Amino acid sequence: MVLFGLDLDYAACVVLFCLGLYMLVAKSNLIKKVLGLNVMETAVFAFIVTAGMVEGGDPPILVAGTSPPYASPIPHAMVLTGIVVAVSVTAVALALIVQIHAHYGTIEVDELKELP
Amino acid sequence: MEVVDVRPLLAPLISFACAGLVFAMGRSVFWRRFWSLTAAAVKLLVVLSMLPGTLQGTVFVFDVVEFTPGVGIAFRADAYGMFFSLVSSTLWVLTTIYAIGYMQGDKDRVRFFGFFALCVSTTVGIAFAENLLTFFLFYETLTICTYPLVVHAETPQALRAGRIYLTYTLIGGGLALIGSVMTLNATGSLTLGQTGILSADLGTFTLVTIFVTLVVGFGVKAAIMPLHGWLPIAMVAPTPVSALLHAVAVVKVGAFGVTRVIYNVFGAELLQTLGYASYLGALAAFTILAASVMAIMQDQLKRRLAYSTVSQLSYILLAASLLTPLAALAATVHIANQAFAKIAMFFVVGAIGRVTGKTRVGELAGIGAVMPWTMAAFTIAALSFVGLPLFAGFATKWYLSLGALQADAWWFVVVMLVSSVLNAAYWFPIIHLAYFKTAETAAAGDDRAARDPAAEPRSLRREAPLTLLVPILICAAYVILLGTTAEVVGMPTSLAEVAVWQSFGLEAPAP
Amino acid sequence: MSAAWPTLLPWLVVLPLAGAALVPIVAVGQPRRAGRFTLFVVLLTVVVAAGLVWHLSLTGPFSVSLGGWAAPYGIELRFDRFAAWTLPLAGLFAFVVPFAWRYLDGTLPPERWAVFYALLLLNLGGLLGFSVTADLFNLFVAMEVVSLSSYALVAVAGRGVAAWAALKYLLLGAVSSLLVLFAVGLLFTLTGSLNLLDVTIRLAAGGPSPAANLALASLTVAFMVKAALFPLHVWLPDAHAIAPSPVSAVLSGLVVKVGIVGLLRVLELAVGSGAPLEVFNQVLMLLGAIAIVMGAFLAIFQNDIKLMLAYSTISNIGYIVLGLGLASPFALIGGSVHVFNHALIKVTLFLAAGAIIHQTGFRTLSDLRGVARVMPQTSAAMAIGAVSIVGLPPTAGFVCKWYIALGAFEAGQGGYGFALVFGALFIFVYYVRMLNAFYFQQPVRPEVAAAREPPWSMRGPVLVLAALCLIMGILGGIPLTFVEPAVSDLLLSMGR
Repeated sequence: MVLFGLDLDYAACVVLFCLGLYMLVAKSNLIKKVLGLNVMETAVFAFIVTAGMVEGGDPPILVAGTSPPYASPIPHAMVLTGIVVAVSVTAVALALIVQIHAHYGTIEVDELKELP
Repeated sequence: MEVVDVRPLLAPLISFACAGLVFAMGRSVFWRRFWSLTAAAVKLLVVLSMLPGTLQGTVFVFDVVEFTPGVGIAFRADAYGMFFSLVSSTLWVLTTIYAIGYMQGDKDRVRFFGFFALCVSTTVGIAFAENLLTFFLFYETLTICTYPLVVHAETPQALRAGRIYLTYTLIGGGLALIGSVMTLNATGSLTLGQTGILSADLGTFTLVTIFVTLVVGFGVKAAIMPLHGWLPIAMVAPTPVSALLHAVAVVKVGAFGVTRVIYNVFGAELLQTLGYASYLGALAAFTILAASVMAIMQDQLKRRLAYSTVSQLSYILLAASLLTPLAALAATVHIANQAFAKIAMFFVVGAIGRVTGKTRVGELAGIGAVMPWTMAAFTIAALSFVGLPLFAGFATKWYLSLGALQADAWWFVVVMLVSSVLNAAYWFPIIHLAYFKTAETAAAGDDRAARDPAAEPRSLRREAPLTLLVPILICAAYVILLGTTAEVVGMPTSLAEVAVWQSFGLEAPAP
Repeated sequence: MSAAWPTLLPWLVVLPLAGAALVPIVAVGQPRRAGRFTLFVVLLTVVVAAGLVWHLSLTGPFSVSLGGWAAPYGIELRFDRFAAWTLPLAGLFAFVVPFAWRYLDGTLPPERWAVFYALLLLNLGGLLGFSVTADLFNLFVAMEVVSLSSYALVAVAGRGVAAWAALKYLLLGAVSSLLVLFAVGLLFTLTGSLNLLDVTIRLAAGGPSPAANLALASLTVAFMVKAALFPLHVWLPDAHAIAPSPVSAVLSGLVVKVGIVGLLRVLELAVGSGAPLEVFNQVLMLLGAIAIVMGAFLAIFQNDIKLMLAYSTISNIGYIVLGLGLASPFALIGGSVHVFNHALIKVTLFLAAGAIIHQTGFRTLSDLRGVARVMPQTSAAMAIGAVSIVGLPPTAGFVCKWYIALGAFEAGQGGYGFALVFGALFIFVYYVRMLNAFYFQQPVRPEVAAAREPPWSMRGPVLVLAALCLIMGILGGIPLTFVEPAVSDLLLSMGR
């Protein structure tokens, strides 16, 4: 959808990415940082899926009832793998945060920086 | 005439192997001494075996490995390299004998003798290096191998001296690396060609930078002023190390490197047209005089010898910078002359220190009566430095003067005369004190005798032990030999002559 | 016979990954078996890699398509001359694993050993996959496998402190992974293909485009983070210093090279695409030179030897990147060979340091004084590593510095040549302090005075690696035979 000369789909992805980046960088709470990371990842996924969109395309499955042009399956595959990766990273990150909390008693970066 | 021969590789390799054996079996005194002496002796034999061929003008080459065309590790034993390695090999045997005697009772001797032997192999590697890469490789390895020797005592001063030594030498090495890389980039080759590999059409900027980086890089070890600062400070090392550093390995390698740059990278002809060498000559002349003045002011014996070395080394650099055959001859023979004389002096100073505990000039009153043979050797060496005929130093000064006149640089002759006077000024007081003053009850000497029951009072004749004395006497004898046989074929000077013919691209005259 | 080797190419990656899955099963009830089994898997991988490299030297680069789907539709694995790096890669793992056997005794509870070895194998599999794949998305996945296992490995042995270092690494690393994913998606959108060669051709056909430049820039930044290039290096010191020493060795020696190989792939992609390569090169040169000096400078102030080694890694990455940025034949050769040499030297140093720390319990210079008297062999290995990393002849590090310096002058950038040589000398200041403390001072800690040499499973790898450091300078020609043709091909395609 083009509006004001800007492709809104891509613009939305960029905005989402920046929001996620802001959360990652500016928030002090570690879990919020991980959330920000997830938002960034979602933005990239949305970008990839949007980029693979084919106007009026059918699902890329060879059965009766579908006909070319097909939506490209590769971006979908990329995003699926990306989601798996993102989930793994989040899982590792959360496990690390649990460890940090057990050791330091806090998960605020401001406080963590003060500690030796 | 070039001949492929494995001996230029064998020489450094054998002493390298012996070094390894010293490290492995060094706990046993016998094996440590055995391998140290074997390393030195075998190296000398291998080098000697190549001597007859070199006198005929044969050059022995051996390629080890090639990284890219034109760049690799290769050895080339030409006359100049043979001269240097002969000097260093001979002196190595003597220094090893001396060190065995001197270091008795000292600590960490496995480390000492192991790295000692390693320095042997790297020095010969430098002498026989065919290209700048091989040269640089062994040059830096020498730096690393001498470091544990310099800091041997492990006192704070020793560690500080080691740090300063490394700073100077590694910076010099860095500059030499840049100069070598630029040479490769400019000419596509690193070979120490017989009459130089650079050509005039490389542009002033490139040529000047290469000259400065290479000369300064190697000049650090040659202790030309103002790069000489590390040398007096490194005197904190044990005396065999000082003898090594000052006569055989580090400083000579530096001077050797500078002369290689002048004759085999640039070439005499090119430098004559470029005129850079005159700056080096001026700096060397300044060093000769300034260092002599500073030597006069030193009370510590080893420091006086250190400044004397700085001064004497610049003779070699000065002679090389004059770019005439006779001056080049002077430069080459002075490598030997200065080496034997200076090492004799260091041995003497070390012996005096070991036997009587005296380290300062002022304490040496009457020592001529206590240690007559030792002081006789010292006197011979001193007379050589002053330049009296029949002693080695005279040959150097003679050729250098002739070479200077050949180059129309008569004022260098003046420099040498002044330097002779200065030499007398700082050597003769020692001799005078030693022989013509009676031994008063010097407080320092007394204290030492009281602390160390083994040191006898000064009234009795107490000569240095044989392991220290014999090398001293051999060196002194060599000084006289070099001085009297300058014209005799087969003697060191004739080898130097072959080196000069090769450097200037002339044919060796028929024997 | 040798024709059969290419079919084994997928196995190069599958073996470690399968091994990682099997380790927990094998080690049920007997934790020590985990280590032995891991070494077995690594050695198998080394054999496969050796065969592949041999085949490469006989016939030249070859590729294999997975699943029978031909490129560019399928995933293609390509074994080119840069991929010969997989052999030393796997080989170095073969040294790290036995080292870890006894090292883990004090650092990890036995229940966790299986996990540790599984993570190591995952890491190896990811590294190998990254090196041989010709598919962009596969590149991303391999990179993620490496990164995830690295994050976990940093934290596996420690508690809160290690977890915090690992989290910082994770956050920055995840952002860089995201940038790679974004770039891959963008490149797919632009070219319709994921195969490296295919994308290169299509980009070149398409001509300059801002979108392609954005993708390439994004990839560059991402790999700069992975390679810990200044100024995106901040995650490295803590992560590498806090990790257990075998992990530090792998991270500093091998994992950061993912960034370098990535940058090389970017260079290959960018060729002919009209992307401003000059800017790319200038940036790399500048950042590389700054990294050299800054890494060395910061290392001087460290008291903890592992922190010092970590900063030294940053400095050496600077060398490699400087070589890449200069883009002259000799510089590229030097930079590529340094990928291998630095890996060797850094693994040696970290393993030796790890042995010392393990035996004495201390990791700071002031505590470790005089350790050379009680652990002469390990200290000698450390000394050899120190001399190598400064680049003094005749050790491994010298060859690369020589070539990069030569390349600097060849490219007319003499100033960088000076920076390179003197940056190295800078860092030698620290190593002299370290060697002085080890060799020439008296022990101050009773634990140090009572320490002894480590057991042979730890000592052997360290000594062999140190010997390799020493001789690789003389034998420097061996990596060169692979690197030189690769570089000349690269430069040819770049039109130089």
